[in-house]
Amino acid sequence: MQAARSSTLRALHSAVLQHLRVQPAQIGSTWGLFRAISAEAHAQGTCLSRSQVADRVLSVLKSSAKVDPLTVSETASFQNDLQLDTLDQVEIMMAIEDEFALEIPDADADNMKSTKDVIEYVVSHPRAK
Amino acid sequence: MAPPPPSPAQARQLYKALMREARKFSNYNVREYVKRRTVVGFRDHGAASDSEAAAAAYILGKDQLELAKRQAIVYNLYSPGVKSIMDLSS
Repeated sequence: MQAARSSTLRALHSAVLQHLRVQPAQIGSTWGLFRAISAEAHAQGTCLSRSQVADRVLSVLKSSAKVDPLTVSETASFQNDLQLDTLDQVEIMMAIEDEFALEIPDADADNMKSTKDVIEYVVSHPRAK
Repeated sequence: MAPPPPSPAQARQLYKALMREARKFSNYNVREYVKRRTVVGFRDHGAASDSEAAAAAYILGKDQLELAKRQAIVYNLYSPGVKSIMDLSS
């Protein structure tokens, strides 16, 4: 009797699990499918979506004391739009490193001249968290 | 026998290194001071067009970096257990 109950529980359990597993794929669009596939990877912290990265980068820029939050956008150039000199840019790079737990080498940090470059770099970095 | 002036990349590296050392201090006051002092120091000497003055400033910066590294270790050995109120995120 107990064995029967536990087996029905197990059947119920697996049915519920199957239902939950199927649900994300039912979204149908390619983006939903990508999300479902990368859900596993996301649990391990290896993939960040571009919008997430963009939001976090923009919030880092806005919370920096030297940047006027109104000028911050995804295509803002550090020197022209945000009026940042090279030292400020180094500070921004360090804030990005802190935010995403990365080590950005100097050569890469020097090449990044706009918000877009930063977002592209973080998204393509395998260890960004 | 004049030392060569630093390249912009070297200056940036020094700045970064000093900021990283500042982060290692557990004492809020010293941490903020190191950050403030590096910003002020770089802005003052950054405008130096004289290559000798720039080289001297770079060597000074390097010495300060070594000093900061040593002091970070010493300060952290004797840091109080209680966090400064400025460090508490409220």
